[in-house]
Amino acid sequence: MSSDALQPEEFAQAAEAAIMDALTRQDVHDMAAVLARAGLCGVMAAEDDGGLGLDLRFALPIVHAAGRLRLPLPLAEQIVAAHALADTPQAAALASGERLAGIAWQGRLPDGWVRLDHGPADWVLAADAEGAALVDAAGSPREVQAALDPDCPQVWLDLRHAPVLARLDTSAWDALQRQARLLLAEFANGAAEGALQAAASYMATRVQFGRPLSAKQAVRHLLARMRLLQEVSSAAIRRAIRPDEYGAPRDPRPALAGAIANAAFVIEKAIHLHGGMGFTWELPLHRALRAVRRLDAAFGGLSRETGRAFIESV
Amino acid sequence: MHFDHHVAVPDPAAGPEVYRQHARTWLRANLPGFMRTDSPDWRPATLAESSAWEAAMYQAGLAGMTWPKPYGGHGLTLREHLAVNKEIGALPMPESVSSIGKELAGPIIMAVGTEAQKQAFLPAILAMRQYWCQGFSEPDAGSDLARLRTRAVREGGHWRINGQKIWTSGAAKAHYCLLLTRTGTVADRHRGLLMFAVPMDTPGIRVAPIKSIDGKESFAEVFFDDVVVPDSARLGAPDEGWSAAIRVLSIERATNRMYRPWRFECELRQLIAACKSDARLAPALEDGGVQRRVGELASEIDGLKGLVELTVERMMRGEAIGARGSLTKLYWSECHQAFAGLALSLLSQVGPQSSPLARRARQACTNAYLFARAETIYAGTTEVQLDVIAQRIMNLPKDLT
Repeated sequence: MSSDALQPEEFAQAAEAAIMDALTRQDVHDMAAVLARAGLCGVMAAEDDGGLGLDLRFALPIVHAAGRLRLPLPLAEQIVAAHALADTPQAAALASGERLAGIAWQGRLPDGWVRLDHGPADWVLAADAEGAALVDAAGSPREVQAALDPDCPQVWLDLRHAPVLARLDTSAWDALQRQARLLLAEFANGAAEGALQAAASYMATRVQFGRPLSAKQAVRHLLARMRLLQEVSSAAIRRAIRPDEYGAPRDPRPALAGAIANAAFVIEKAIHLHGGMGFTWELPLHRALRAVRRLDAAFGGLSRETGRAFIESV
Repeated sequence: MHFDHHVAVPDPAAGPEVYRQHARTWLRANLPGFMRTDSPDWRPATLAESSAWEAAMYQAGLAGMTWPKPYGGHGLTLREHLAVNKEIGALPMPESVSSIGKELAGPIIMAVGTEAQKQAFLPAILAMRQYWCQGFSEPDAGSDLARLRTRAVREGGHWRINGQKIWTSGAAKAHYCLLLTRTGTVADRHRGLLMFAVPMDTPGIRVAPIKSIDGKESFAEVFFDDVVVPDSARLGAPDEGWSAAIRVLSIERATNRMYRPWRFECELRQLIAACKSDARLAPALEDGGVQRRVGELASEIDGLKGLVELTVERMMRGEAIGARGSLTKLYWSECHQAFAGLALSLLSQVGPQSSPLARRARQACTNAYLFARAETIYAGTTEVQLDVIAQRIMNLPKDLT
């Protein structure tokens, strides 16, 4: 498909409709099938693999909507894996939503245990000695950590004996990680936007002392700060996607670190602004917070890593 | 100081990157060593030296970028403006001594001035022949200009002005004051506001400098006692002039000093370089907490670059940016305060045995820390920006509709 005729923004509405539809399904593979039929899983995959062959800019509104609507699937990872594994049977299986792929950001295959923070996934991409391997995680020894998110738990996996399905060389693995970091930043930013919208509209209708709470300066100013941070994340991600002045790809880490920190702030405050209701299981903001905190764990120490890289560059 | 005034300015059609390269080459070749704020040879530039430097920048096509050619500008777009600003930011050079003229008076005159006023003022601002000061704030009217009291009364072909201004930056050196007055009474609130270009040597004007927490006397109280100016000093009609000026100001808030994030990055590099140059400061850079703070600042600077570039993109597409300048103002001011706080703590142990770079950085960063207190106050306080974002960007209701 040619991307000349199509604008990334036009994808936003279609993505939102498909994700809302997927969210009516119980089973994660049923959800993935709905998304795949709308072209979301394979948006960047090669056309020969059943994908749309579009670039990263087109995946952005999709993962934004996934964050905003709290889709409990690793859609960003699925999109970049289906793209990176071009010309393999696995790419077709990912583009069609038949299998789900996640990325283990903590740990390396040769060392034993790796952690999947943003699942669920049938297949896991993890770093190995050179580049990365896509392995089938079914049947591997595991320890489920459900404390942070009982519905989408983090999972430690011992993948040393897991069947390797495909490999990525170092440059393909680097490129995939870069794309995944940018898309996950946008996923977190979408989650922040959803929480902010919920808080702003609730504050505009919740009447206390005879006026909506949004009339209170303390509330208005907090909402304005939340909006500022969400706008900053958005601008930083859009900037990081584009090459720098010399045509080289930009480091996505500052944008990702910022997006996760900003999203955590926005969602925490959105929960706070909902008062007692914010602390209930029924209000879904806690799901967004758990998802963002799982990403925070996945990229643990990212700000420090960014700072170290900056210091080394001087 | 001598600058070559016959500079080959590239054709903007060659693209913003060619223009940026020109800016980079020219600035690095011409910035006097003592003006580099990271240099151990740094010293404060005199007004004449700063003026000569800025005039040379203008000659080289690096100031007045977006102003029309008939008024001395270079007639370029925000794209070249941004490209040049990135290079201005990347080099640690002093702030403009004529920012009120270039960022405030100039754009307002362009919007509301008569042809004669444009010819008289605009080229002189760019060539650094005229400095301006801003006479908006009053003791009783800070953020709330509806409480403005300074009054202008028409007397035939003249206006008689009485009142007091405060926080007037650069009043002592200014040739003109961009003065906001009212033609009626305070009860008129936002009605009847009228602007003037008042020569600062007009009889009846008295300037009383105010010492600021950084030890400078960069702003002042200005008293107007029976100051009489001709009608030709009026900028626009009552009400009309001021409402046009407000529109200009909201654009200016979003587009002035676009170099900030690149300058902040440059300052952060200067801080790191200073620490690396000193055996007792260097170990702090191994500290995880310090690395995290540096990383957070690097993220914030990247975000600020994103906001600035997005503003230019939107304006180039012809979109109205409305109140979005408030987002940028709020973010840069707090980002810079955070940087200055970190710098002050990292350099707190600098002493007689420290490296020259560290000693220089301590001086520059302490000053930056103190000056940064003003950054969340001037050009609309943090609270004003938050109000603007809540009201005009988010449309948060104050009543049930």
